[in-house]
Amino acid sequence: MKMNHSELENILKNHHREAYLWARQCCGFEDELAKDVLQICYLKILEGKARLQQVEKVKPWLFSVIRFTAIDELRKKGNWVALQENYDLEDEPTENEEELDYQKLLMQLSPMQREVMLMVFYHQLTIAESAEVLQVSLGSARTHYDRGKKRLKELIVKSQNLEYDGK
Amino acid sequence: MENDQLIENFFSDMKKQDQNIRIPEFPETKVRSFNWWIPSGIAATLLLGGFLLTQQEPVAEAPSEVIIISLQENENNEQEFTIEEKAYIDVWESSTSSLLTEF
Repeated sequence: MKMNHSELENILKNHHREAYLWARQCCGFEDELAKDVLQICYLKILEGKARLQQVEKVKPWLFSVIRFTAIDELRKKGNWVALQENYDLEDEPTENEEELDYQKLLMQLSPMQREVMLMVFYHQLTIAESAEVLQVSLGSARTHYDRGKKRLKELIVKSQNLEYDGK
Repeated sequence: MENDQLIENFFSDMKKQDQNIRIPEFPETKVRSFNWWIPSGIAATLLLGGFLLTQQEPVAEAPSEVIIISLQENENNEQEFTIEEKAYIDVWESSTSSLLTEF
């Protein structure tokens, strides 16, 4: 299905907030990089380099374009490290703060786990849609989802315990 | 389910915190339109060049008519020039033939 420039622009405007938040999450919560990534994505889409095939799948498609553009930009900056599926980052001691540091906790998950968690729980995508965004099989996405949940739960409990101990 | 509730609360709180994030304005996206004047100009130049190069120089054609100027004696024995225009020369006389006949 071919869309004209203004139709595409309207779709992008409608998803702009979520697109920015997702770009930020894909860029390790770096605001400036997220802005650049989003600008590149919008140009790619409006110039027809990234094409929407099914209108009903606009969100997974947009998220996919953003994710791959972010990976490219992070690679250029030398900040992208391809991780194994079952790779878990070493525990970083979380600072004893009043407020839970969401970003820091999420950064302790592997990129795939973090992305599935964010897509499912934050952006309300299904696991199947997340698999499309990540371009992995549904089974693989489910594995990342289960491991991510388990790992994140441990991190949250640990962080809460530290918080209580500090009080 | 308990696990999910913990995680759902985590993301719900994160979303609340993210309400404070300043979302940048939708960027002005100027699509780089392809400038068709450049390839059109090149194509036109090549076409014109090709046309001019392949055009052969016209071969000089022989005049369709021949003008014959001859010196003849009239009835008063006076010599006069006669000028004729012909498509071809039907009679050709050597310019030195008089030497053979008169001497």
